[in-house]
Amino acid sequence: MRAFRDLPIKQKLVATFTVTIGTALLLSGISIVGLDSILFRGYLQRDISTLVRIVADNSTAAISFDDPNAASETLAALRARTHIVSACIYRVDGTPFAGYARGSASPACPPPAAADGVRFTRHDLTASRAIVLTGRRVGTLVLVYDLGEMAERRNLYGGLVLAILVASAIIVFFVSSRLRASIATPVSQLAGAALSVSRTRDYGIRVRKFASDELGLLVDAFNEMLSGIQSRDDELKTVLLSREAALRGAQSARDSLETTLASIGDAVISTDIDGRISFANRVALGLLRWSEPDIRGRRLDEVFHIVNEYTREKVESPVAKVLREGAVVGMANHTILIARDGTEIPIDDSGAPIRREGEPAQGTVLVFRDVTARRRADETSRMLASIVQSSADAIIAKDLNGIIKSWNPGAEHMFGYSAAEMIGRPIWTIAAPGHEDEMPRILARIRGGEKIESFHTVRRRKDGRIINVALTVSPLYDALGRVVGASKIARDITDQVEAAERLAKLNADLRQSNEDLKRSNEDLERFAFVASHDLQEPLRMITVYSELLVKTYAGTLDSQGEVFVDNIIGGTQRMRNLLADLLAYTELGARSEQPAGNVDLNAILRMVLENLKVAIADSHAEISVGDLPAVEAHSAHLIPLFQNLIGNAIKYRGSKAPVIGVSASGSGADTRFAVEDNGIGIEPEYREKIFVAFKRLHGKTIPGTGIGLAICQRVVERYGGKIWVESAPGRASTFLFTLPGAICPAANAAGGTRIRPEQEQE
Amino acid sequence: MTAANGKAHVLVVEDNPADVELLRYALGGAGVDCELTVIDNGGDALAFFEQRGVYANSTPPDLAILDLNLPRYDGIEILEAMRASRKFADVAVAVLSSSSSPRERARIEAFHIARYITKPPNLDEYMRIGFVVKEMLGEKLAS
Repeated sequence: MRAFRDLPIKQKLVATFTVTIGTALLLSGISIVGLDSILFRGYLQRDISTLVRIVADNSTAAISFDDPNAASETLAALRARTHIVSACIYRVDGTPFAGYARGSASPACPPPAAADGVRFTRHDLTASRAIVLTGRRVGTLVLVYDLGEMAERRNLYGGLVLAILVASAIIVFFVSSRLRASIATPVSQLAGAALSVSRTRDYGIRVRKFASDELGLLVDAFNEMLSGIQSRDDELKTVLLSREAALRGAQSARDSLETTLASIGDAVISTDIDGRISFANRVALGLLRWSEPDIRGRRLDEVFHIVNEYTREKVESPVAKVLREGAVVGMANHTILIARDGTEIPIDDSGAPIRREGEPAQGTVLVFRDVTARRRADETSRMLASIVQSSADAIIAKDLNGIIKSWNPGAEHMFGYSAAEMIGRPIWTIAAPGHEDEMPRILARIRGGEKIESFHTVRRRKDGRIINVALTVSPLYDALGRVVGASKIARDITDQVEAAERLAKLNADLRQSNEDLKRSNEDLERFAFVASHDLQEPLRMITVYSELLVKTYAGTLDSQGEVFVDNIIGGTQRMRNLLADLLAYTELGARSEQPAGNVDLNAILRMVLENLKVAIADSHAEISVGDLPAVEAHSAHLIPLFQNLIGNAIKYRGSKAPVIGVSASGSGADTRFAVEDNGIGIEPEYREKIFVAFKRLHGKTIPGTGIGLAICQRVVERYGGKIWVESAPGRASTFLFTLPGAICPAANAAGGTRIRPEQEQE
Repeated sequence: MTAANGKAHVLVVEDNPADVELLRYALGGAGVDCELTVIDNGGDALAFFEQRGVYANSTPPDLAILDLNLPRYDGIEILEAMRASRKFADVAVAVLSSSSSPRERARIEAFHIARYITKPPNLDEYMRIGFVVKEMLGEKLAS
């Protein structure tokens, strides 16, 4: 039964229909077959009884006449009835008289039945009848009839019933299929929807209605129920969500409070009403140098020692004060916390009672913080502020709209406006005429994070005076790194600018005067040249005519007159030498028109010595000339150079005969020439002066123009060289010089020339 | 050309009378007997060689002694005018100059100067100029 209950409705319907209709049909069939069997039996009994009586009646004569053949013929007529198995006629004594057997010529007659009548056996029917003649029994007829006909009928009816059953089953199947559509499908949809709802909790699902029958009503009711559930569910959800949110909020608030307390930057200690520590956060433990397990339960006084920074006096624990006064206590400044290990930490602290609304305090909470960094920052900031205050530069802060936020005394002094006047005013208050658009441009660049350095411009003071300033403008950032303003440092460079202008002017003046000087120098040289040239003319006249005078009037002049004329001639001679040297000197300053030639210095020396022949002979000078190189220069320059140096060596001799050496050492541009003597030498203080034109160390006792060494220096410098003197006063001098501009690489290996007075005399 | 009196004709262009005097003295000292025409400025010298004004009938001298440093016109211009004229182109010239600079010598090289004499700084040398002139005039003096 359980299996049936669990079957799907469709199958249940099929089964119910099938069983009901099958049973009805089967019972009807059985009844019909049973009834027919009974009726047929009765009919058969009557039919056979009739047949037996007829046959028995018809056999009376045969038996009476003892004619078995006639009897057999009568019996043979039974052949028409196919179901008759056999028929036998017995005599009264029971012996077979005649017989018939279906399909057989010789019938085997069974012994006759004991009593007349019809008897049914399982397979056949046996009918016995007494053959009576005139009231007397003459024999017995026994007939056996098979029941095959009955079986045939039964089979016929059974088959009929079966066919009806099969047809009914088919009809039931189709009918139940239709029923499935109208009953099972809506039901299974309902079931599916219900299952889906319970699984997915989607109360939005609705079932489609197929018909307005009870199932339709059921679907409506189901859908209605779902709607109800859905709205209930929504409400529930809302309620649940809000409750969850509330719960979460409460949880996170508690978490955050706990986290806040633990991780807050300030030190937090809470105590119970007796001042025993119930909680200390990490910062507090760190500052106090205590560990969590050690500190819990201790009295605050044991771990929290504070003194006044200046007086070093113990400061009352805030807890005691809080408990006494029942109010929030802010601590005095300049409090020093002395930690467990003796470290002193400047702190700010405050205490507060812990209590619920309207209840007495349950304890205290103490909050304090290490202000070392802030102290340092304060100091730094004070220091920076004092720098800003004392700076001679104007230091100005402004916001991005150009509104001035700070204005230091440097700015006050520089621009003439006080801080009170300027703070809150726009920076363009100090813009100079024509520079108004400069500040917005600077601010635009500042907004972009750019820094403006050493921007030279002008600004207007309160008194209207325009000053030159060098600006450095930098962006000011807030804590988030956003540009919020600009710091501007202005330096008054009016003096510098003026100084620079003065300098430029001075430079220009200098250049001008340098040019003037150069020009006047050139003029002077030209003048010296022309003068020395032209002065020679009248001098020549004086000389020649003086001589002419002496020659013509030699006899008429007295001795004094001759001395006078001699002095005139001597004077003109000296003047002529002077003019000649001056001319030579000025000519050295002029540009040479001809290119320098390759000159063998040995040849130059020979010419010089030839020129000095008389002086050499007079002084008995011994002159040795070393190996001298060839140079790229003008002979007209080299001759006076060597001639003056050797001439001087002869002229400024000591008591001994002069010994003079001319030599060259080194190579290339470094080649150094030397003219050394054993003369009177030169005191150190004069060693530079002697090269200045007209500077002479000696009076008229040693004749000279004072230009010789100046000419030498000019020649040497013309070839990029240097000339100097080394001397042992009283004993010797060596004039040294270089001629880098004249040195040519050509090798020169001319042998030295040695000239002796004796040779000259020969 | 020899002067009408048969003496050699020497033209002296010199602005300094003292030099002219010394020249005369030197010529005398050397025994040079000649006709001396003295012109003391460049303008007249140009007029002489271009035969203008009072010098319209000037004739070529046997020797021209020329100071290059003259007022108004300098020696170069005079030499140019002289060499440009057909009549005076071949006149022998001795330049008498106070300058002995090679530069000045180079400037007048093109004018076929016979002698270049630096004005001497003493009497002895001055006297030698007389003999130089004597030598230059040569056979013109003998005639």
